[in-house]
Amino acid sequence: MKNFIPPFVALVICIAVIWKWTYGFSAFTVFSYTLRDAGTTPRSFPDIQLINQDSIVFHIKDKKKYTLVNFVYLNCPNVCHKVNNRLEEIYNKIDSNIVPSKLELVTVSFDLKNDNIKKIKNYRNHFSSNIQGWSFALPYQISQKDFDTYFKQVGIWAKAAPKSNVINHSIYLFLISPENKVIKVFDPAREDNATIINEVYTCLKS
Amino acid sequence: MFKKLVHIFVLLLIAAIFYAVSFYANDWFSLTMPRHQLLQLPIMLVLGIACGCIFSSFKIKNNAYGIALLIFIMASLIFWMLPRSIDLTIVYPWFNRIMHLHILLVGFLIASVLPYVLFEAKIAFLLMVASMLITSGGTLKVFKILLCSSFTIEQQNETGLYLMFIGIIFFVGSIIFFFREIAKAHKKN
Repeated sequence: MKNFIPPFVALVICIAVIWKWTYGFSAFTVFSYTLRDAGTTPRSFPDIQLINQDSIVFHIKDKKKYTLVNFVYLNCPNVCHKVNNRLEEIYNKIDSNIVPSKLELVTVSFDLKNDNIKKIKNYRNHFSSNIQGWSFALPYQISQKDFDTYFKQVGIWAKAAPKSNVINHSIYLFLISPENKVIKVFDPAREDNATIINEVYTCLKS
Repeated sequence: MFKKLVHIFVLLLIAAIFYAVSFYANDWFSLTMPRHQLLQLPIMLVLGIACGCIFSSFKIKNNAYGIALLIFIMASLIFWMLPRSIDLTIVYPWFNRIMHLHILLVGFLIASVLPYVLFEAKIAFLLMVASMLITSGGTLKVFKILLCSSFTIEQQNETGLYLMFIGIIFFVGSIIFFFREIAKAHKKN
């Protein structure tokens, strides 16, 4: 019996450490860990002031409708553009009776140093000419430190890669309810457009 | 006296390699996933094993503690293979150094425990390491989703492929070792 104690204790300690490190074996990457760390859905979506491509300052919580939010930076070498192309496909497939009356899309740039209103306006013009209800926005009057805190609360991992302009980050899409709650988080890397659209419809109906 | 001098020389050499890998060339190793996972990490493990061989008087012959340490070694290897751990080692160099020291300790413990532990435990450990390498390699190879934000999917797949190869070689080696030991025991009897 005495011989079983050291291996047993070692096993329990090791499992406990890995359990804690991975949020109970549920978050193995920095992306999923940060998302999990922000809390389970439904949860309040943290609020900051945003400014859109037409220089209008707004809050997502003031929209009082469903909002699909994603975060990008314009100098991203590829993944952000891929996600936005996917979002454009989603936008085009969603019934026009829903967007923008019940649902809006907001793409927020998080590169406070390099992106500005002119750039996001030009970037928005790369998509279909009529994308009413899909705003491109920048955080407005916020310090980098406060924005980092905001990002953490949202559940997004973002870290600049050393010695390059690349920012490694999560690509989640957040569905926000009219009550400003995160009700669904989509991972475009894992979920296809049809699944995302179906989930959005289900949330809108409920 | 000569043996002591050799030990001191080897220890200095280990310290120099540790410094070179962990500090001087850290940026180079952190640039791609194969370099980080297939070069930097095994170098630290080998350095640890070399340390263990130098301090050969430190032997753990008690099976209960030996198995406990093998569990610790296994968990340590799993811990540093997790995508979250890998990412944080790239983002924070201090965290990378914790990994280096930890792996160095793991190597040291392997040299101090593995040769003296119960044969069955030894085989179980070797096969578990082999299966862990094959499984994690397979996961990295097959997944088309980026698991480590600091690297690319191509690097992830490449690392996975090499890890699988290493795992298979390890597995074959473990099987050969198993049958050789069985044959030896048979001869003795």
